Parts: sequence; C-alpha cells; structure tokens
Amino acid sequence: MKNPGMTRRDFLRTTGVAAIAASGVVPLLGQEEVRKSTNVVLIRHRSVVSGNGVADRRILEGMLDEAVTMVFNAATPQEAWSRVVVPSDVVGIKTNVWRSLRTPIELEETLTNRVIAAGVSPEDVSIDDRGILSNPVFQRATALINARPMRAHAWSGVGGCLKNYIMFSPSPPDFHPDSCVDLGALWNLPNVKGKTRLNILVMLTPQFHCLAPHHFDKEYAWTYGGLLVGKDPVALDAVGLKIIEAKRRLYFKEDAPMRPPAKHIAAAEKKHGVGIADMQKINIIRLGWKEDSLI
Amino acid sequence: MRTFLPVSVDGWTISEPPRLYSGKEIFEYMDGAGEVYLAYRFERLLVQRYARPDQEEILVEIFDMGASQNAFGTSTYMRGRGPGVRVGRDGEFKNGLLCFWRGRYYVCVKIERENPRATRALLTIGKMIAKAIGVDGERPRLLGCLPAGAYQPKTVRYFFREEILNTHFSLPEGILLPLKGIAEGLLVRLKRDRSHLLVLVYSDVADAESAYQTFSKTSVQDDSMAGISRSQNGTWTACERINHCLMLNVDASTTKGAHDILATVGRRLP
Repeated sequence: MKNPGMTRRDFLRTTGVAAIAASGVVPLLGQEEVRKSTNVVLIRHRSVVSGNGVADRRILEGMLDEAVTMVFNAATPQEAWSRVVVPSDVVGIKTNVWRSLRTPIELEETLTNRVIAAGVSPEDVSIDDRGILSNPVFQRATALINARPMRAHAWSGVGGCLKNYIMFSPSPPDFHPDSCVDLGALWNLPNVKGKTRLNILVMLTPQFHCLAPHHFDKEYAWTYGGLLVGKDPVALDAVGLKIIEAKRRLYFKEDAPMRPPAKHIAAAEKKHGVGIADMQKINIIRLGWKEDSLI
Repeated sequence: MRTFLPVSVDGWTISEPPRLYSGKEIFEYMDGAGEVYLAYRFERLLVQRYARPDQEEILVEIFDMGASQNAFGTSTYMRGRGPGVRVGRDGEFKNGLLCFWRGRYYVCVKIERENPRATRALLTIGKMIAKAIGVDGERPRLLGCLPAGAYQPKTVRYFFREEILNTHFSLPEGILLPLKGIAEGLLVRLKRDRSHLLVLVYSDVADAESAYQTFSKTSVQDDSMAGISRSQNGTWTACERINHCLMLNVDASTTKGAHDILATVGRRLP
C-alpha cells in the first residue's frame, strides 16, 4: 500500500495537488504521479446493520453522503452530488438483485433521492439490474451509478463492481471463459464507456466463501458494516478482495486465497485499462469505525 | 424429473408450474455460477417451488447431469459444507440447504430460514425425491485408486475441468503443471499430514508426459531427486506418471511419505 494510514487531511492535500496539477501550475511529473494513483474511500459504521441484517437507512444515508463528499473533495454532500450528476443527465443506477445478498433497497432509494435532489428529472432516473438493455432510461443514459454487494463467486472468484456490468452485454456468457478474466472489457462497451460517475461496493455483510454455487450460506458472510466508494471500479474491487481474503485467513486459520482466483481484477488494469488494481497505487481513505477493518 | 416430485407434504403444495432449463438456459435461472454445473456436463434443471400459508417457501432444484459420475462430481464440488444426513447419496444439510446425488441427478432442496416444521418437510421432500429416482448410480472408477482410511472423505473433489480444480486448490508457487487435455481428476486431503493428493487422467499419454516434463523442469531443484520438489515452507511435492495418469502429493511432510502414497495409488489405478 502506498499510504495505508492516509487521513482525511492527507487526502485533501493530495486532491489539492490534483487541482493545482489540473490548472497547469505544477510540472508534468506531478500530473503523471497523480494519474498513476487512485483514491478509494472506506467508510464503516458499527451500527449500520441491525441484528436481523437490515440496513439502518439513516446511518446508511450519512455514510454515503460522507463518502461521496470525500470522493469528490467537496465541502458539503449537496456540492458533492452536484458533481456526480447535473440536471441535464439521464441516470441509470445499476443495482444487483440477487435475492440472498442484494444491493440494499435503502441504498437504492438514497441514490435515487440524491440524484433527483441534484436536479435530475425523476423520469430520467432508473434503477435496474437484469433489464437494463431494454430499459428506456438506461438506453439513453448519459451517466451511470454502480452499486452492488461484494461476494465470493463460484466462477469469477468474487462478484464486485466490475462483474456488476455483465448485464450490459447482450450475451453475458461470452464473458465467462477463463473464470471471467475479461470482465474489464465490459467497461469499454459503447453503452458503458466513460459514463460511470460513481461506484459503490457494498461491504455491509460481504460473503467471503461459497461452496454451493448459487446458494447463500450465512456461515460465510459477516457484518463488516462498510461501503467502499470511489470512481475507479477496479480499485474498489481490489480493496474489497483484500478484505475478503483477510477474512478467509481468519476463518480458515490458514492462508486461503480466493478460489478460483479473481484474476479479472488485475486483468481489468493490465489488459483492459479501465482502472488500477495495483494496491501500491491505491490510497485508502478510512472514515468511521476502524475496528477489525482487515486492511 | 417431474415424476420425482411429491404433490404435497405436510401442507406444502406446489405453488407454481415447474420450470425447466436445458444446457445454457441455466444462465436464465442463475448467473455465471451456472458454469459450475456446465463444467460437470449439466443437461437439464427442473425448479419447483412449494408453499404453505405462513410458512417458508421450499425450493427444489433437480439437476439432470446426464451420468452418475457427473452427478457425483457435482456433489463433491460442494461437499463438506454441512453435516451428513441420510438422504440420497452423500446427503448434507446445513443452514436450510439439503444437497445430495443419486443416479444421474444432483438435488438441492432449500428454505431461506429454518424452523422445525419446514426443516422436517424439506427433508421429507428430499427423501421422496431420492426414493423416486430409484437407482443409486455408480461412483467414478478412479476413486478406487484411493487407499481406504488414508484420506479425509469430505475433501474428495472429482472434476473434469481446470476451473473446478482451481476452486479448491492451487499448486505451490513456482510449480507449473499444464492441465490441457485432462479427462478427469481427483483431489483429496490426506489424513497423515493434511497434504493434498492430486490424480489427473489425461486423454492422451503425450499430454500426461508433457505435463510431467513441465513439472520436472519448473520445480525440481536437484537432478538427483527427479520428480520431487521442496517448497519454501519446507514441505515436499512429488510427481509421478503412469501411462495417462499423473499423480502428485503436494505439501507432504516427508519425501518417503510422498513416494509411498504415490506408489500405493499407482498400483490401484483403474
């Protein structure tokens, strides 16, 4: 990790440099350095998930606002959301409805409310998963928001931000060969490329292992109480994977790398160029509950 | 497969028409996880739901795997997730999910949240399906190479594809082993030292020999110790080839132990 102990102040300093670099004041080398790293916000709250596994809407809203404010280096959540979308945008919110571990409805509703509050017309916002290709809002979307839970996956190693876009392909099985190694290519599809403004990898109750391919076993999920938020889906998945692997080591009491290996994350950087997977280049900004963060 | 299903059990009745998926239609029912079943030569899936007022829905999935060795292999993919139950063959039940195989079929029966009545009904449905299937089906002959008592039964994994092996196991760093051309494979953990025993059957002797040569070139540090490699953690990995078969003992505690088990397995190969 380049700077695992990064604080809010460190982050603002870094992004301040980015702003100066964008203005052309600093030398070219400075710009290169900024472009070669990426920021991921990890925000956690001890009480965001209740005993029966339901997300606390008020806490979740607060976590999301705080994280997005940090990601966009804004003074207030309102300012941050106004940078995520503008009133003229048509916004598709790609969710995940796998019934055993879906994107929390509370998060979906908060995202919709924030997008509308930023000035987007309600008719120009839609949440969808399996129907996105036939969804009129997604068909004319100018902006995408990506939100799904992190979980172990029998074929791709993990299902995270990258894999969540597989439904943008008219033929998802085309992306299955070699343990889904080319999921990064989804992000270069014409209906996707350059449109994603925000990624949220839900780490409230992630699943770190699976034996039955499409069944959920609560034994292999735990309350982590976190969200990973950022612009780079590859970096979010890379950090999420590290957390999952740390949990596997604790649970199995031996080195237990993800199986099958989630090789699509590194390939998304090296082969498809859609983000940064190298943990040395990922700055993790930690907010909220720190205990047992596993990273 | 519909004939395997009971009409009702303890007040639970069929709540909607059964759904049938063939081949790659499995992706309409589940996402990429369907590849696991396809890797075991899946043919058809029947999904049936049972409902009873104010009770858990019971979900039944019957996978027609085409042959008993495929159904057995599928069951080994998931083996070890829960305690054994006497339903079908190698039945296991945990956290509301019952899995077993019998004949050419692999069966899952599931409830979201357990309660005593729903659990009883679930197990009853499982037993009725197992009985209706009628024939046990044979385990793969390759299992005969495993010496009884030497391995942990719940760690047996039987497979046809590299991706399935990768789900359960990875070779020590630095060791390369081409898996192109494998027809079937077997992975178990030995009781002796918790090392892994891997048996790979290649379609072609040349592929088996090529894999053995690759292992030798990438892993053997000492010419005097052909077919054996020491890992950084001090354990040993031994490899031998007999005709189409490659046998490896990975992370063995001693070289003698590794050679002994491979010799035993080699004598018992079908």
